[in-house]
Amino acid sequence: MTALSDILHLLITANLWQAAVAAAVLLLLPALGGVISERSGVVNIAMEGMMLTGAFFGVVADLAWHNPWLATGVAIIAGGLMALVHAVVSIRFRADQIVSGIAINIFAAGITVFLVNRIYGIQDIGHVGQSELLPNINVPGLAQIPFFGMVLFQQNVVVYAALILLVLVHIVLFRTRLGLRIRAVGEHPQAADTAGINVYVIRYGAVITSGLLSGLAGAFLAIGVSNTFVPNMTGGRGYIALAAMIFGKWTPFGAFIACLIFGLGEAIYANNSIIHASPYLLSMLPYILTLIVLAGIVGRSNPPAADGIPYVPGSE
Amino acid sequence: MPLGSVVFAFVVGGLIVAVTGGNPFNAYAGLVCGGLGIGCTQGENPALQISNTIVFLIPLITTGVAVALPFRAGLFNIGAEGQLLAGSMACTAIGIKFSTLPAPVLLPMVLIGGMVAGALWAGVAGVLKATVGAHEVVTTIMMNYVAQWLLRYLIIGGPLQLAAGTSKSLPTGPGARLATILPDDNSLIIFGLPASVYRVHTGLFIALVAAAVFAFLLWRTTLGYEIRAVGQSQRAARYAGVSVRRTIIVTMLIAGAFSGLAGAVQIAGVDHNLTDKYFSDTTGFDAIAVALLGLGSAFGIVLASLLFGALHAGGSVMQSDAGISSNLVLVLQALILFSIAANFLGAIRQLIPGLRRGPAAPPPETPTAGLMTEAATNNGERIKPT
Repeated sequence: MTALSDILHLLITANLWQAAVAAAVLLLLPALGGVISERSGVVNIAMEGMMLTGAFFGVVADLAWHNPWLATGVAIIAGGLMALVHAVVSIRFRADQIVSGIAINIFAAGITVFLVNRIYGIQDIGHVGQSELLPNINVPGLAQIPFFGMVLFQQNVVVYAALILLVLVHIVLFRTRLGLRIRAVGEHPQAADTAGINVYVIRYGAVITSGLLSGLAGAFLAIGVSNTFVPNMTGGRGYIALAAMIFGKWTPFGAFIACLIFGLGEAIYANNSIIHASPYLLSMLPYILTLIVLAGIVGRSNPPAADGIPYVPGSE
Repeated sequence: MPLGSVVFAFVVGGLIVAVTGGNPFNAYAGLVCGGLGIGCTQGENPALQISNTIVFLIPLITTGVAVALPFRAGLFNIGAEGQLLAGSMACTAIGIKFSTLPAPVLLPMVLIGGMVAGALWAGVAGVLKATVGAHEVVTTIMMNYVAQWLLRYLIIGGPLQLAAGTSKSLPTGPGARLATILPDDNSLIIFGLPASVYRVHTGLFIALVAAAVFAFLLWRTTLGYEIRAVGQSQRAARYAGVSVRRTIIVTMLIAGAFSGLAGAVQIAGVDHNLTDKYFSDTTGFDAIAVALLGLGSAFGIVLASLLFGALHAGGSVMQSDAGISSNLVLVLQALILFSIAANFLGAIRQLIPGLRRGPAAPPPETPTAGLMTEAATNNGERIKPT
């Protein structure tokens, strides 16, 4: 009974929710990328690799130029370039998108450590100074609101950017002509092509956007949350983002709710020792929840109709 | 085609080394020495290097089969890693629990236990695919992470932990161990080193038998016919009276059993306990490259396993001798995957005048279904369905 009341007590602390929102954003950015890419019909399991690449090049740039904004730009571009590889391989060469995604993830894991070794020698990459991190910003006025001020308005700058991007992606996907085109290409590319939409351009754009967003997440991880690069530092977040995308039924806000649930779980076991279950067992929950969702117990979750199918002009 | 992909990967990998200021020839010399024991300059023992390569090769064959079999049914098993971990956890748990039993009883128990655990792990994906159509790629990824966290739980604070503060399990009983091929004898000198140094173990024969069973199952049994029929066209298979659902579930169960066996053999033959080394194990992902590079045939899988086993064994020598990070091996592996998947070589060939392409191929019914179908392998041309 005490354990339960401890958890309930924990759930009303603002600190916990502040950490949960930050953890959720780390998942939300690649999840939004996944939503955009898969809505256009390109399966993307490569967010993990794009994020890792972004994290690495963000740290390299920050150590070189001592400017977190520039470094974030580099991280975003690095993520985008990895996505470009995925796009070229799966759109131009019509490769199997899952194999390509796996290859991206393996490539990122390998090349980042390889480059750490080439650039910095065998030892550690080094740490980014406090002044070179992406800053936390307290929104004037709003930050003083009890509870919500701390949770929503005393956050890292990337958190605000991510929440704006969330709304933006939702509006673009469901309220604009471009969004209609993206979804049309993902559901029925032949019909979209007939209607004069350039399927390839839309798909390239969507996949590259997923890389830009994942790269930003990588920057947040490496020079926002942490202050260095360690091998494989994304630790499966790209895959949890994938889970969140499915959990959220390929919608931005659905994915966001899933990210919040996963982020809350992470915050609960990261911040506190009062929960007596093993943190490792708790870590399984996002994946088990996703399996339950996939099993159809909480409603079906169906991908876009043309997801994963390379487009060949003139085909049935 | 597979050979071309490997050459492509080595050329691009060499360029990456050269661009970053390294000497690709030294790097590859280190790989060849470490992997094949040829041309060593720093006093490495060639026999020991070959032994190491074979140790890496053993789980690659079995997990390679575990990826290749579902490919034939149009299923993409990314979960070989999780299934392998499930097998190694079951093997260790049984080996600890019944540590006093003699080998003739305990050894079959741990190996079969590993197979059952792996089969259950993959079975989740199979059942979800067959009943509600949940994509096996996603479900097997989720099961991979469930396995990884379960492993951490078991050996850090969980029931299998050796002692507080350690991140490894208790050792399995002596009866749960596979014999090494060479006698475990310090006084016997073979190729200049005591025989006990060579870790190559009898799991090699289990892996080779697994590859043979895979080939027999696929080409000589009714189930194999059904698997191939489902992979070619689910609709046609259904008209032919094949239960597609049953075939999908059975295929995943068998694949999981192969992966679980790989994990159990690794514990029984090499490690004898679970350690944090398994947190970063990538065998199940390497297996995807093995299955693709081996074109889904048993012989091809053994050859591809040899390549990746040699790359893994060679990576550490490359790092110590040439100063090139062993992570270059991952880069090479990714490049091989890109090259196979995208058929870069075919594209390059098309650029040559006079060999320009004919009409574009129509899209596959499902992208993965076509990957390993007979049509793709029989013409030996490209892994793209026609």
